[in-house]
Amino acid sequence: MGGPSVNKPELVINGKRVDGREFNELRKIKITASPLVNASGSAYIEWGNNKILAGVYGPREVNPRHLADSTKAVLKCRYSMATFSSLSEHGRSGPNRRATEISKVIKEVFENVIMLNEYPDSQIDLFIEVLQADGGTRTAGITAAAVALATSGIPMRDLVYAVSVGRIGERLAIDFNMIEDNYSDSDMPIAIAPRNGEVLLLQMDGEMTKAQVSEAMDMAIGAGKTISAIQREALREAYALMPGNTDKQ
Amino acid sequence: MRNIVTPGELIAPAPVMVKNAYIEGGKTYSKVLGMYDGAGRGIIPLEGAWCPTPEDTVVGMISEVKNKVYVADLSYFGRSLIVPGKYDEYNFSEGDIIAAKIKDVESRRTVILKEAELLEGGTLIRVKPKKVLRIIGKKDTMISQIAALTKTQIVVGMNGIIWLRGGNLALATEAIFRVEREAHTSGLTETIKLFLETKSV
Amino acid sequence: MDAMDTVKTNHIRGLISKGIREDGRALMDFRKIKLASGFMQNAEGSAQVELGETKVLAGIKLDVEEPMEDTPDRGNLMVSAELLPIASGSFETGPPSPASVEFARVVDRGIRAGNCVDLPSLLIEEEKCWTVFIDLYVLNYDGNLFDAGALAAMAALTSTRVPKYEDGAAIRTGASTQLKIGNIVTSSTFSKIKSRTVLDANGDESAASDCRMTITTDEEKVRAMQKGLSGGFFKGEVEELVDTAFIKNKELRDILKRKAE
Repeated sequence: MGGPSVNKPELVINGKRVDGREFNELRKIKITASPLVNASGSAYIEWGNNKILAGVYGPREVNPRHLADSTKAVLKCRYSMATFSSLSEHGRSGPNRRATEISKVIKEVFENVIMLNEYPDSQIDLFIEVLQADGGTRTAGITAAAVALATSGIPMRDLVYAVSVGRIGERLAIDFNMIEDNYSDSDMPIAIAPRNGEVLLLQMDGEMTKAQVSEAMDMAIGAGKTISAIQREALREAYALMPGNTDKQ
Repeated sequence: MRNIVTPGELIAPAPVMVKNAYIEGGKTYSKVLGMYDGAGRGIIPLEGAWCPTPEDTVVGMISEVKNKVYVADLSYFGRSLIVPGKYDEYNFSEGDIIAAKIKDVESRRTVILKEAELLEGGTLIRVKPKKVLRIIGKKDTMISQIAALTKTQIVVGMNGIIWLRGGNLALATEAIFRVEREAHTSGLTETIKLFLETKSV
Repeated sequence: MDAMDTVKTNHIRGLISKGIREDGRALMDFRKIKLASGFMQNAEGSAQVELGETKVLAGIKLDVEEPMEDTPDRGNLMVSAELLPIASGSFETGPPSPASVEFARVVDRGIRAGNCVDLPSLLIEEEKCWTVFIDLYVLNYDGNLFDAGALAAMAALTSTRVPKYEDGAAIRTGASTQLKIGNIVTSSTFSKIKSRTVLDANGDESAASDCRMTITTDEEKVRAMQKGLSGGFFKGEVEELVDTAFIKNKELRDILKRKAE
């Protein structure tokens, strides 16, 4: 949203989107579970041209001590973009306001699904590092973070996925890339716990009618079936080949 | 037949008491990424920090002695205590290495130990708790093989701390760390056997 | 927790004094090295090195900037490093730690002293040049960031493209030219544990080290050196390590060459 108003590119060419996709077509998603050995849990996702690494540490000691909660674990989340992640200039290191806000809303997604009360007096750290960005990094980050948390063994009530839906002219399109993100009329990232369909992240800016908001949510839920399957498949694949998994004990 | 289940996956359409599962709206779902054989015994997590369970053997170091209560450092995020019962005659000092069994898990942060024994001499190494089962092997095959071929005494703690004494310590520890690194490969027991047999001449 | 670390450190020191390494390596062997480059399309250059379990990603961006006051005839080079908290339980978020700054500056020193990047070729016109930003991101830490970082930086540089310059701005899509590389340098980091010295210490060996020496060379000359930690080396030891660094330079250059094929 809010790209330069001159030189606005055509977002629809012969009925298809800039990258040739249909309006209800997701970009290619590939998830690898547990790529890192030090982290308690980790996952790497390639979603279109996005390349994002998610990692989990914990439960561990709360730092600083005075923030500890004797009834449940404290969850900390840091979303951060590598300085070389964008197609434009070298970024600045250190959190900016956008990253700070995204870190907060992502934290709130996982505070809901992680069973924090099983780890009183402890801290769980979630890191989402965007190595390459092409629109939809927060939703791809959440999708990878859920897989990373699953590989850490921290109990959750569900495997959350996220995707964005946007408006181009009168039509809604699933999963905006960077160009669509910058030049479209509206964008709505959404994270859902698929088991009961609860919406755990919802942000939107631009202009949408109520009917469009409803339709957008339906599109996200529809796409969610594919995304969830990819997450679960990545987890199964990573562990299916471990020796001992075919043992009868 | 074991099945890999993921968080939020339906385990049973009715409320059943299954370890690592939760009940909501009259149905049972998995809390973790794990293996479930459908028999209701429990979901075995495929990952996760060591979850102290009663009867687990642990190895650690006495870090504090206070009025006959011993605090043991198990390199685990949490406290572990040895509280002597009426007939226990413990006489540990700070720095002593002990093997013990878990008696009670009061909360995830406090674990009570029993049957503590002093382990004299020897050395300690630390491995990732999730690799411990692989290091022990099915029916102790892996660890017995290592101990026999290097002529060492070994006590493996489920908390990831292992005590070794005597024999060819360097070879034994190299073998254990190798199992930890290559835990995911098949035929590992044979590989390690071959490795130890060639090196121990 | 500290008690156990001391036990591990003592164990390593015991093994090393007998000339044995935990993973069975020879004292002067590198761990298995995996190298891949050019896979980050948004960056002008990229490479990832896996040195055993140490994983470092180098990302390169070129921006249009002004030359430095004291070098008005050439472009700029800037190396930074991030010890991502995802890489180790002991890395924290926050401003760069002294360790991460040292890491960046040591890698920088080798590349700069080695004249690896042809900086004069990066001058665009008066008061306009390219600045090469090399950012080293540590994804998993298991010792020896210096050599992994230096190798990743070098690998990324040799496949970096220079964007087109038009009307004061960088055009990053479309045609580009290859960044001119003047020299290849590689580094070897040695760790002294009691009286023995090993190459490429892993995380546990690093924790058990008394002293560290990073030597960066090209084929003929020593380009940069950095001694780290509080222990000491004797003159004879340093000379031996320089010899070994040259031998290792050939090994590492071969790896860089292979990836280019």
